Amino acid sequence: MSRVAIRQASSYRADLRDVILETLGEFKLGVKGKRVLLKPNFVGADPSGAVNTHPAVVAAARECFLHLGASSVLVGEGSALERDTEAILETIGLREYLGPLEDTFMDLNVDEVRLVSLRTRASRLKKLYLPASVLRADVVVSMPKLKTHHWTGVSLSLKNMFGIVPGRCYGWPKNILHWAGISRSILDLNSTVRPDFAIVDGITGMEGDGPLEGQPKASGILVMGDDPVSVDSTCVRAMGLLPERVGYLERASLFLGNLKEEKIEQIGESLARVTQPFAVVPEFEHLKAKKA
Amino acid sequence: MSGIAQMESSFLRQVALPTLLAAQNSDGGWGFFAGSKSAVEPTSWSLLAISGTHANHSRARRECWAARFLKGAQLPEGSWPAVVGQEEGGWVTSIACMALRASVGASPETGRALAWICREWPGEGGLWWRIQRRLSSEMRRAQPSDRLRGWSWTRGTSSWVEPTSHALLALRGASLSSASLRRARHRRELAQKMLCDRTCPGGGWNCGNTGVYGAAGKPLIGPTAWALLALGEFADRPSVQQCVRQGLDWLERASDGIRGPGSLVLTHLCLRAFGRTTGSLDSQLFARYVEGRHRWQIPELAWITLALRPSPDWLRPQIFESL
Repeated sequence: MSRVAIRQASSYRADLRDVILETLGEFKLGVKGKRVLLKPNFVGADPSGAVNTHPAVVAAARECFLHLGASSVLVGEGSALERDTEAILETIGLREYLGPLEDTFMDLNVDEVRLVSLRTRASRLKKLYLPASVLRADVVVSMPKLKTHHWTGVSLSLKNMFGIVPGRCYGWPKNILHWAGISRSILDLNSTVRPDFAIVDGITGMEGDGPLEGQPKASGILVMGDDPVSVDSTCVRAMGLLPERVGYLERASLFLGNLKEEKIEQIGESLARVTQPFAVVPEFEHLKAKKA
Repeated sequence: MSGIAQMESSFLRQVALPTLLAAQNSDGGWGFFAGSKSAVEPTSWSLLAISGTHANHSRARRECWAARFLKGAQLPEGSWPAVVGQEEGGWVTSIACMALRASVGASPETGRALAWICREWPGEGGLWWRIQRRLSSEMRRAQPSDRLRGWSWTRGTSSWVEPTSHALLALRGASLSSASLRRARHRRELAQKMLCDRTCPGGGWNCGNTGVYGAAGKPLIGPTAWALLALGEFADRPSVQQCVRQGLDWLERASDGIRGPGSLVLTHLCLRAFGRTTGSLDSQLFARYVEGRHRWQIPELAWITLALRPSPDWLRPQIFESL
């Protein structure tokens, strides 16, 4: 049995710290003395506020983990398209929320790397270079945006882990993952570096032609939990879609976590109350639940 | 004082070069940050930046170390890996080849590298790929054309704007054996067409997606700057002039809103190479340095050095006055 918390947060000005702290308390994550890595989804220019994980959520999470006794909390991201990470950080105003970034942010695209054997063989990748900051972390927290995705249907905490693959080895974009199969690569990556916790920023999400060109969708929720498959499945349901029809999620449920509703204990807001149908591109119409 | 030294700006003399030189590791290479492990890409940019600037014996010695590091990291087949010890080469081969040629001139190492570049095809376009593309709607949406192939980031993957641009720059003016020369001519033609085919609507380039699902691809500074520099040698061709002009215009417009130092430097490097006027890069860089907001990456420092020096031959477009 897995547990997933859905919390309402109407805006980024809300007291997100309290919301996250209370939820972390319920999960009893042992982070005291541990190195925590927060992995948000920072992609690039974001005039609608629907592309990137909002820095207010990242800052609140960071404060919470420090409050709970983490020895360090590093924010790390390796954008897939924009090599100039500093331009992204300036655009989203991360410093206004986190202060100086020298010791708090790591550009995973240019971090030191180590060759790692992947734990599963869903793709033909077998091995990948991965950033030392990720491999050193005791606790990895995936912090995606609640978004649709034109290749995979949705982009949530599992897909967000693509951002740990270093551009310095694989380029911009990390095309090796596309050639190995996006869905298969998601499985191999998450079986090797499985997020210990997920915090999905669904305060403003994205529907339609995500992850970049869709429309903002104000869902007003944060979805959290220590089983990334359960968290993503719950998010998919909250988007009015069927998680068992998201190929990689269905396969992830075989070995990475729980997908079925009866195996997920819902805490916080009820799914029925927060569910808002998300528009999807035509290729993913089949993800929609049939109307009763 | 040499001509180059006189032209070095104060940021170059006081910050960029000293920081770059101080960051060189004892193995002769550079990492992505001062103190990090040496890697081929930052070493190559750094060597390009310092080559030909021998202010003193010490700098010449550093250049030798860097060249030795690169020679030692080259794989037997002629390519360079992104990570030292990796068994497969990739796009950094073009940059390492440019750096070695700028530093030591044509050599057996650069010859092997150029031959590798000429025979290294991206993954798309083969029979199996074409069958997959026909069957997969995802691939059809992702790839604008499978006829116009350039170079990929890693072996067996698709052509993208930046590795293609770097390969074109590496091949510029290279001395090749006759067999490689024929191949190089063919590859250069295809790559030039590919770059023009991948321009974003309205000008400029992103990684190589002109659009997906009817949404126009949005250009980015880095790919635009490198594509323009690569296309500079074809700028006498009418078919190329329009996309170069549009790209330069987009870059000029974008330069007002640049937020990152890497983008800022590449913009100046490119606009100056094409003879377009730019504001003072020096003052903008100093402002960032004094603010202390940014942890400089080694490639950025190397690009600053390249931007603030007179354009080296490998960056200079053949025809730019009319653009």
